[in-house]
Amino acid sequence: MIDITRPGKNMLSLNSPVMAASGVLGFGDAYRDIINFEVLGALVTNPVTYEPYSPAGGMRVVHLDAGCVVHTGMPNPGLSKVLAKYRDLWTMLPLPVILHLVGTTPEHVRKSASRVEVEDAVNALELGLNDDITPEEAHQLVRAAVERTEKPVMVRLPLQDAYAIADAVVEAGAATLVVAAPPRGTGRDKFSGQLVTGRVYGPLVLPIALRVVERLAQRINIPLIGAGGIHAPQDARDYIEAGAVAVQVDAVTWIHPKMLEIIARDLSGLVVTREVGALPDEWYPGIGETTSKMKREGPPPE
Amino acid sequence: MKDTLAIIERVRRINPQVQHLELAVDESLAKVKPGQSLLVRVAPFSPTPGEENWHPYLREQWWPVGLNNNKVIVERPTGIRYEPGQVINAMGLLGQPLRFRRTLRNVLLLAYNSTPTALLMTIPWLLGNKVAVTLVLVGSATEYGTQHLPPEVEVLRGSPGKEEKTLIWPNQVLTAGWADQVFVVVAADDERLRFQRVLELFQTLRKDVPKNYLFGVFQPMLACGVGACWCCAVTQKESGHKLICQDGPAFDLMTMDFK
Repeated sequence: MIDITRPGKNMLSLNSPVMAASGVLGFGDAYRDIINFEVLGALVTNPVTYEPYSPAGGMRVVHLDAGCVVHTGMPNPGLSKVLAKYRDLWTMLPLPVILHLVGTTPEHVRKSASRVEVEDAVNALELGLNDDITPEEAHQLVRAAVERTEKPVMVRLPLQDAYAIADAVVEAGAATLVVAAPPRGTGRDKFSGQLVTGRVYGPLVLPIALRVVERLAQRINIPLIGAGGIHAPQDARDYIEAGAVAVQVDAVTWIHPKMLEIIARDLSGLVVTREVGALPDEWYPGIGETTSKMKREGPPPE
Repeated sequence: MKDTLAIIERVRRINPQVQHLELAVDESLAKVKPGQSLLVRVAPFSPTPGEENWHPYLREQWWPVGLNNNKVIVERPTGIRYEPGQVINAMGLLGQPLRFRRTLRNVLLLAYNSTPTALLMTIPWLLGNKVAVTLVLVGSATEYGTQHLPPEVEVLRGSPGKEEKTLIWPNQVLTAGWADQVFVVVAADDERLRFQRVLELFQTLRKDVPKNYLFGVFQPMLACGVGACWCCAVTQKESGHKLICQDGPAFDLMTMDFK
């Protein structure tokens, strides 16, 4: 079992360090006939807001070279309807459910956290923070959630402001930091000729987010989850080596749904064959216990 | 939904704009019905790290236009080169079949600044059920060659211009009045705006636009295509959010909330 939250009354432990990021598996109803959910660590739901959100207008998906820009407007029917619709499904799933709550206002976060507190089907909250949020605002939002629920409150940081707000979020009581949300970018849509701003997905996000994880791991003393740009098992291992305890896989699931399962099997020690010539420490379950972690904790006792 | 491999068995250039690919597919995909589509990745999947080709990145939506002995025929632009024997990755089936009325006699298919590809699979089915089909091409859709379509299909070409003035074609009132159902495709750049324009036009052409009469066939760029990312969510007046990739692609334009 892997502890992905800081020690406490309701800490969350997973069978696998691999989960899909928010927005990748829907509310647990998508990909169920393609991906074996049993090998995943947890289900992180699509973004949910306290009140319903409407879809964005115009083009929402722009192709880039080796990537894409996605702008959805976070459409969702609101927390109450989401819980009513998916509660039974989540109870039946063979893995913990982490509800991704969009940090809109402290009042909405407070109400949402109170609502989630009494939901047995939800094991933890993942609070998504806006880009350009200040440390004070982030602190308020996290505090609003932590005060109203005893369930672990994980916080997904915006990539470009991760360093600036990490300390405030930890101080406010975050159980885990998810580093990070896909960065925002702008791409030109070839159909309309317009510039579209949204979240950027693609392999190039990996080195940027990996650097942030590596630096935060040296400074922050709560568990980190690496997210962004993972497209192969080795990418996920890189996050573990950089100091993350688990990873969230995003857009590669849309392209090769089975890749999520392959990465999960690989990092969970469920791969029973190894490549010819591979050294034992390249495939066994303890693969994550490598250099960066040793750097932080010091060498193992003699 | 199934993730499968398919083989391009035959490539046929139909006209300067489009080519038809004959795909040998998994039997689950060969059950495709009008309105349903496939989600395809042409670049082969490589399990070896570093050998994967990430361009193009997302899967493409391929629209079948016919079936031939369990082979699915899809229509693609001519600018892309495909080879017979090429193995592709195909996921499907996307979306729900189009819902035709039982007492159907005349159907109007309207392509507005978009190729009518997404509508073409309805033609053999409709003709086989003795339903008259009129295909109206307006805007940039007028450039689409129709020589390969069955001669029973009446093709009307509207004005070739861009934007506001394009929604004009011969016998507009007559075709809108005769049609028992209308299926419309528009350019993907701003479907909401264009479908709204089409709805307003039909509201002026007919005394009333009944329910289950005017359908928009949505074909936006998809990210996941399986109802996970909610990139293709649309809002309906009564039933809230719907996903084009799962509940669509066709929605009654009278029920859509265009605000």
